[in-house]
Amino acid sequence: MVSPRAVAADVLVVGGGMAGAIAALAAREAGARVVLARRAPGATALSSGAIGVAPDPLALPGEPLRAAREPLEAARRLARLRPDHPYAVLGERLGALPEALAFAARVLAPLLAPPLERPRFLATPFGTAVPAALCQRSQAAGDLLAVDGALVVAGLRGHLGLDAALAAAGLERYRARGGPRAFAVEVDPGLGEVGLFRPHELARALEPPGAAEALGRAIRAALPAGAGAALVPPVLGLRPEARVPERVAAAAGIPVAELLADVPSVPGVRLQAALEAALAAAGVEVVQGALQGAGPGKPAMVGADEITAPRWVLATGRFVGGGVVRRGTLREPVLGLPVQAAEGREAGVDLAARPAASLTGAARSGPQPLLSAGLRVDALLRPLDGRGRPAADGLFAAGAVLGGHEQASDGTGLGVAILTGYLAGRAAARPGGGE
Amino acid sequence: MDYDVIILGGGANGTGTARDCAMRGLRVLLLEKADFGVGASGNSSGMIHGGIRYMLSDRHVTALACRDSGYIQRIAPHLLFRIPFLMPFTTRAAGATLRDRAAWYATEVYVGTYDLFQPLKRGKPSTRLSADELYRLEPGLRPGLRGAVTLDEWGIDAFRLCALNALSARAHGAELRTWTAAREILAEGGRVRGVRFRDALTGEEGEARAPVVFNATGAWSPALARRSGAAVPMRPGKGVHLTLDRRYSNYGVILSAVDGRQMFVMPHESESIVGTTDDDYYGDPDDLEATNDEVEYLVEGAASLLPGVRNARITRAWCGLRTTIYAYGPNEDALSREHQLHDGAAYGRAGLLSLVGGKLASYRAQAEEATDRIVALLGRAPVPCRTHEEPLPGGDEVPDPAALARAHPVAAPVAARLVYRHGGRAREILRLLEEDPRLGLVLCRDEGILAAEVVHCVRHEQVRRLQDLRRRCRLAVGACAGLDCARVAAQLAARELGWSPEQVRAELADLLDAGWRERRPILDGAQLVQEELVRGAHAAAGAPW
Ligand SMILES: Cc1cc2nc3c(=O)[nH]c(=O)nc-3n(C[C@H](O)[C@H](O)[C@H](O)COP(=O)(O)OP(=O)(O)OC[C@H]3O[C@@H](n4cnc5c(N)ncnc54)[C@H](O)[C@@H]3O)c2cc1C
Ligand SMILES: Cc1cc2nc3c(=O)[nH]c(=O)nc-3n(C[C@H](O)[C@H](O)[C@H](O)COP(=O)(O)OP(=O)(O)OC[C@H]3O[C@@H](n4cnc5c(N)ncnc54)[C@H](O)[C@@H]3O)c2cc1C
Repeated sequence: MVSPRAVAADVLVVGGGMAGAIAALAAREAGARVVLARRAPGATALSSGAIGVAPDPLALPGEPLRAAREPLEAARRLARLRPDHPYAVLGERLGALPEALAFAARVLAPLLAPPLERPRFLATPFGTAVPAALCQRSQAAGDLLAVDGALVVAGLRGHLGLDAALAAAGLERYRARGGPRAFAVEVDPGLGEVGLFRPHELARALEPPGAAEALGRAIRAALPAGAGAALVPPVLGLRPEARVPERVAAAAGIPVAELLADVPSVPGVRLQAALEAALAAAGVEVVQGALQGAGPGKPAMVGADEITAPRWVLATGRFVGGGVVRRGTLREPVLGLPVQAAEGREAGVDLAARPAASLTGAARSGPQPLLSAGLRVDALLRPLDGRGRPAADGLFAAGAVLGGHEQASDGTGLGVAILTGYLAGRAAARPGGGE
Repeated sequence: MDYDVIILGGGANGTGTARDCAMRGLRVLLLEKADFGVGASGNSSGMIHGGIRYMLSDRHVTALACRDSGYIQRIAPHLLFRIPFLMPFTTRAAGATLRDRAAWYATEVYVGTYDLFQPLKRGKPSTRLSADELYRLEPGLRPGLRGAVTLDEWGIDAFRLCALNALSARAHGAELRTWTAAREILAEGGRVRGVRFRDALTGEEGEARAPVVFNATGAWSPALARRSGAAVPMRPGKGVHLTLDRRYSNYGVILSAVDGRQMFVMPHESESIVGTTDDDYYGDPDDLEATNDEVEYLVEGAASLLPGVRNARITRAWCGLRTTIYAYGPNEDALSREHQLHDGAAYGRAGLLSLVGGKLASYRAQAEEATDRIVALLGRAPVPCRTHEEPLPGGDEVPDPAALARAHPVAAPVAARLVYRHGGRAREILRLLEEDPRLGLVLCRDEGILAAEVVHCVRHEQVRRLQDLRRRCRLAVGACAGLDCARVAAQLAARELGWSPEQVRAELADLLDAGWRERRPILDGAQLVQEELVRGAHAAAGAPW
């Protein structure tokens, strides 16, 4: 039997993904005592590695990559088009976006590359480019606008995960928009039979001394003349401290970058690990387990721990994280808050009980109210009850638990988590909350 | 003339008839507007049953259906699986009325009589189970049942049945075009002379000429006939099935829906299938989706005997259109005739033969009858049918999965699924690993799909679109909804078919669209979580949104 432990804090953050971690770190920096409770890794640990603030909804299809608007301007444009989006709900607080991104880049400095004025354009396995406001250091050299010379897509011999020829052929399309020339090569990572390895297994195999260097040398040997950077599958080490990207690049003699990932996502695992390291370094107390409680000011249970804090940040994610569930009807399971925000006209108090087919459109692409369902908040990120009033004193929400956005349909995921986490964390750090 | 016969529709009847015609030496063209099996055939319950339903009206039909079921076991033994069904007695012995008892007795006699036909399809005789025995076999059944009778039936992967008939037809010289729709049936001087068609992928339009056209376009026939100045009367009915992520019963269970209609829950591989609804449908056959009430109806019905189903994870809802003979006859005769061949001569389309109705279970016999008619219309001397003797591709020398798994670097369940889907051809597929060990990658752990299987299907099974792999090897139809497998399969297909990066993305989008339409009405619980994952992962990796 573990004996019960009573913990008092200024701020209790529920959820350990990007939103919760940034909220905890922001509150901590503002001087608050912070406890973070989290059950398991959520969507953050599955993300591709690119941190999307917003693709510019008004960008013209063929416009030069250099013409891309800075992330704040792109987010403002999105907010004007989509009144339900958290960027729109935040009103003028959206202006804190650059500050929030800089904060995230600073607290996650070992992992993330510093932000630029413009988005970076990162390549997918299909040879398309995704604009990212922030990305991992292991990806930055792949920015289509940063490559000096030709971009070489290096497939790993014996591995099916990436078809380098396909990716390179796709990237060729961006040349007209200012992107580099792209070539495909195949290299032997020297790991023996890797054909049946999953991405994370490959990543682990590259960590031991010598392995990353061998891959780097193989890339160097395969480079065509004029190569400016090499793109490899997203498998450059699971643990940031193994420094696989740096070692591969040193041996290759040119910048080496990872492509974006689907699942299982090695960069996602690294991002989650970096968040945990940052929480530990900042002195946030992390409690492992599912939280049950009645809200700010009242004791909440996580395993045997009883935590009491006057202000809470709910950063429990959406369906993957468990912050929103559906069993016949949509529910927010921790506090029973109403789920009433979503993209499109379906939002409102009746949202939760509508049948699945009524909350989805027949065309897969485009907004799907069911997939973007979540909490409705005011501009201070206070969850609203069914009558549109703040549901509880001292309660804030951040990240994917907020409705009205969905990364698949509007490209906003981790960017929303960073901005709302930052704002909610800072607000919760102040006694009285809010302003 | 270019061909002796043009066959429209790539369902069981179209492909089965193409095979028979080709085996009898006719020059055959088959046009399928999408892919083999996409219509009623692939979306049927896949039961190769003996037509117990017709026993009261026409035992001849039952005998015929049972015999044909036996034939299908002979020509495609790998593709058939035995499903013992349980038909529980639902009322309690204590409160049973005289009528209940009479009904139990009638069921036993009924099923007992059916037993007489079982040897024809190598079925086991029915057994009467006590309540104890019943609960030992099916502990998930709700309490209070008095017992059951068993009923031996057979199931089949109907998509593969269509594809195998098509492949066999091709091997016998038939030309088959998928994603190519007949736009109009052409006629001249009271006779058909061919069809005008359009290839949906290349946009190519053309005409093909033949003195006989066999219209097996199922629920689409009335529209095609109208466009061609002909008429095919029928009554289309929509049928919905649900797939549950795991087995909720060890046997098939026959049960009653809220309105008293008969329904079933049956295990298929590692999943359960619940079926079906049956309602008139006069909408667009190309725009078919399950509705919320259909889903609810099926869940309610299934949960009435298997309460666990109420909390089941539904992974998809899929539908098809039955074509029932118009004005389903009050007289015995119309009832017993499961299908009709309409001759177009009546309305100035001599040489046009249209099929209405026609069960999956007796597709081979129907194809034989249609081919006899086609041969006669062509004025040729009769040639004997051999479709019940010659195995379908992979149907001969079906290997033992365990031995295959020992001889190749694959897990036993993966080998077993490969043998189920490909029979003897599983050996060829595994031989691909010798040249390229990477193809031993299991792309989908839900469905045990090997990379080699994808490559084999693309090379040899007339795959033109990525979504064709849903039907050839169940790509992205399992609970995972294409999370792991879709992108790599797209890359493999692209390499074989020379797709450009834009085409690969378009094909992937099309594959995801097809899955989305089947999941939209059932998204709940864990399957909704999976949906967020699938959308997130594919969007992040650059699939079109
Ligand atoms: C597969 C996938 C790929 C994606 N790729 C990208 C991408 O490339 N770029 C991008 O910008 N966005 C991407 N997104 C979207 C993005 O990942 C999410 O929007 C973002 O991670 C949400 O962060 P979060 O912190 O709000 O939620 P999550 O990361 O889901 O975290 C929620 C946390 O709350 C915890 N929790 C929930 N309930 C409780 C409870 N009762 N008690 C304790 N803890 C609880 C969970 O355990 C978890 O730790 C992707 C999403 C998915 C699913
Ligand atoms: C829900 C349900 C459950 C069933 N269960 C069973 C069962 O368990 N056992 C059983 O024996 N029977 C069952 N049936 C009946 C059985 O599925 C059908 O009778 C049989 O599949 C009909 O096959 P078909 O080839 O005639 O039609 P279909 O399979 O519908 O084929 C018609 C084809 O024509 C194509 N087409 C349409 N228009 C054109 C055009 N203009 N040009 C070219 N091609 C065109 C379509 O794309 C389609 O592939 C079931 C039916 C349904 C709906």
